[in-house]
Amino acid sequence: MGPALDIPLHVKYIQSLGENKDDLVYHLTAHLRMNAVYWGLTALLIMKHKDALDRDEMIDFVMSCWDDEAGGFGAHPDHDAHIHSTLSAIQILVMQNALDRVDVPRVVKFILSLQQDSGVFAGDQWGEIDTRFLYIAVNALSLLGHLHELDVEKTVGYIRRCRNFDGGFGAREGAESHASQVFVCVAALAILDRLEEVDQDMLGWWLAERQLPNGGLNGRPEKLEDVCYSFWVLSAMSILNKVPWINAEKLTAFILSAQDPEQGGIADRPGDQPDVFHTIFGVAGLSILGYPGLDDLDPVYCMPASVIESLGLRKGWTALPRRQV
Amino acid sequence: MHNVKRVRYSAEALAAQRQREKARLKEFQSLTGEVLARKQRKDHSREAFDLTTRLLQINPEFYTIWNYRRLVLLNGIFVESTPTQINDVLSDDLSLTTTLLKQHPKVYCIWTHRQWCLAQVPDGPTASDRNGWRQAYWNKELFVAEKMLEADPRNFHAWTYRRYVLAQMPVKRPETADLAFTKRKIESNISNFSAWHQRSKTLTSLWDAGKLDKARSLEEEFDLVRNAMYTDPNDQSVWIYHRWLVGPGEFVIGDDKGLLEREVSSIQELLDIQPDSKWCMESIVFYKKLLLRRHGDSLGDDERGKLNSECEELLGSLQSVDPDRHQRYVDLSRNHHIV
Repeated sequence: MGPALDIPLHVKYIQSLGENKDDLVYHLTAHLRMNAVYWGLTALLIMKHKDALDRDEMIDFVMSCWDDEAGGFGAHPDHDAHIHSTLSAIQILVMQNALDRVDVPRVVKFILSLQQDSGVFAGDQWGEIDTRFLYIAVNALSLLGHLHELDVEKTVGYIRRCRNFDGGFGAREGAESHASQVFVCVAALAILDRLEEVDQDMLGWWLAERQLPNGGLNGRPEKLEDVCYSFWVLSAMSILNKVPWINAEKLTAFILSAQDPEQGGIADRPGDQPDVFHTIFGVAGLSILGYPGLDDLDPVYCMPASVIESLGLRKGWTALPRRQV
Repeated sequence: MHNVKRVRYSAEALAAQRQREKARLKEFQSLTGEVLARKQRKDHSREAFDLTTRLLQINPEFYTIWNYRRLVLLNGIFVESTPTQINDVLSDDLSLTTTLLKQHPKVYCIWTHRQWCLAQVPDGPTASDRNGWRQAYWNKELFVAEKMLEADPRNFHAWTYRRYVLAQMPVKRPETADLAFTKRKIESNISNFSAWHQRSKTLTSLWDAGKLDKARSLEEEFDLVRNAMYTDPNDQSVWIYHRWLVGPGEFVIGDDKGLLEREVSSIQELLDIQPDSKWCMESIVFYKKLLLRRHGDSLGDDERGKLNSECEELLGSLQSVDPDRHQRYVDLSRNHHIV
């Protein structure tokens, strides 16, 4: 028997992240702050400790990142609006039941303005394209109740052109299949009710083969394992109802072995420095694996299932049954 | 954070580290404050440009500063410059990103900026040679992308960038050169699935354009992959590629039934030498099921029954050889008779 999930320690770790303002690393990661708040809050909700971070302070922070020129959210006050930080802001406000603070029509306009002729989305006005940004747009429009404004055929057409012979999807047309891009493409198709675009047997095979003998999952063939793939791979498997195709017990043990038993938090692999990114994706993976004491995570939106259900957005995914302690 | 070992420091060591970081932190914060203030007041001067260089050298992931740098170029520096001067500035910016990529090969912002710079290259050097500058850059870009792939043959940023460069070059390189490139990559490491993947794209494109004899090149690919299978039967790149060669129906040429039977018996030979090879077993099951699906009508009842029971037997062995994926084999076995 390996270690259990040390929820109180991880809650403390997430709380401590906002208190390290003398650390250089804290400032060097300012461009990820909005995402980090979303990762931290989601992890807390799944661990049933929503109140560990102050709600009003969090909402004020989110609103201080509004970029009025662009009509979206930046990652930090005075940083430019970007589609990624905009989704994180919306997710935080939805989880805090504070979406009324957002100028929804303007955000919708910002997001839709980033769709390219090919159907993919850019991250901002500078034109970097990626299927991640496409998923972000679909997710955000869905949470905002404006999915009807999206050109679905054009969007799905781009995803289809990113599908590779192994059943997976890449970041762009022509790009190699990668587990995180598989997650974004499959989840976008799930939101758009277009899962028939997926070669489910082929992709299920490819996803199941991500598990390595030590239980961890990798993101591409012949690469190393990493805790964050616990979410990218499992979420797609859960959407395709194929979680039982890997060894849940071994993956659970691998994620738990990457915990920092002293400071809290989860790392990419055992013995490494933890961070909030791997903490949420480790906890998310454990939730899908039915780990006891956690709340259900919706693998399509990477938010608590109860929140997504209350919005009427739940899709037909399945996780493993929640185990009792 | 990836691949950073956890180290426990004593309270004293931690305090000493804080002290050392203090000066760097102060510099970073004041530089950030100054650059963001200039951005706010739309300062598009050379001075502002140089400050963004300093800041990006400290933190190349600071996307807002890259955005600001591009605004300074477009609204300030380019406005006052001749095409030759613009070309020189872009050349410097490409050198900056080259240096940064060596230290940070997976930072999206750097790759994005590089691509943006190339799109800005003006016509020149002369009216009669309008693509001269561009072609010189593009040739160099291919070199840079391939250098990055030498350092890390799986870096998907570099592969994506290389595909972009090949598609954009004013004077295109023949696609067949890509077959030689991917073959070199595969031969130096057969586990490099990125190279196998790229090869599948190049071959498809060449076949679709009618630039390559499909039947003959397919046979060459089968030879290549068969050699790789024997080199390391546990390498999944090879098996995934083989599945593509056989094809889910879209590449069928000539005698498909004969091809499937030939590949099954070739894998069977390998399985006889390596009786525990899960990849051999899994592939045989897949291809036998394909045979049943595509050619079931032309097979006799006996033959169908035999193929089905052989698949069942292999799926049973797979459950014990590959217990982590036990449930998948159970599910495949259940679905088996549907075909």
